[in-house]
Amino acid sequence: MPILDKIAAAKKIDELLRGVVTHGGLRLKYRITVNPPLVEERDWERPEILVELSGPDSPLLLERGGELLRGLELLAIEMLRLSGNEHEKICFDCMHQRALRIEELRMAASVAAEKVRSSGVPYAFAPMSSRERRVVHLALRDHADLRTESRGEGPRRCLVVYPKSSQTTAARTAPKTIP
Amino acid sequence: MTEQSGDVRTLVEQIAKALVDAPDQVSVNQIDGETIVFALRVAPDDVGKILGRQGRVARAMRSLLNAAGIRAHKRFALEITE
Repeated sequence: MPILDKIAAAKKIDELLRGVVTHGGLRLKYRITVNPPLVEERDWERPEILVELSGPDSPLLLERGGELLRGLELLAIEMLRLSGNEHEKICFDCMHQRALRIEELRMAASVAAEKVRSSGVPYAFAPMSSRERRVVHLALRDHADLRTESRGEGPRRCLVVYPKSSQTTAARTAPKTIP
Repeated sequence: MTEQSGDVRTLVEQIAKALVDAPDQVSVNQIDGETIVFALRVAPDDVGKILGRQGRVARAMRSLLNAAGIRAHKRFALEITE
């Protein structure tokens, strides 16, 4: 279901970020785009509102794997009362961190695929958000000899790569972990 | 109260009011000290909205306060009560 009133949603995001800049004192600029053009090779990702942040305090947003950037995105999502399957309609980015992180995840996926292929042993990634797990799932979906599954709950939920032939999850095998 | 931390109190209040169902029951009390504490009080039914699943919303607000603290050369903390 699309966001019903995207302009009103964009205004709410603007209010949040104006507060962050004026009251929080962070030196940031931002641009909010409704219905942004799709990024090539990321056509499975279709945000309806894209927020691009920049400015001298960008490093504060990007520390610890973009913790504050993701935090601001989450605050916006919660303020707009979006349900779980609508979270991807809002995307916050800064200095192309999103594209870089996706590239990093794809490379990690391809390393994991090779390890599982050569060893026959399942491989578990460190816990990741649902969005990031999705990137890895999609990166490996065309590998006919492998399959991916998420397991664990909440913040510990992680993605595991299995050889296609291996039995389902369970705790029978202890997968290796990529930190 | 310095102007900067007063502004941060406003930011906490603004965000909390946007998150909850009962914005008129949001209050933020600032307790000055070595660490400046923002005691956020919301309606009992709204506490879950401020915390978020697995505490993610509260964590997001705390990382924002942390960044504002770095910018202001101060230490900010958030306390949530109903």
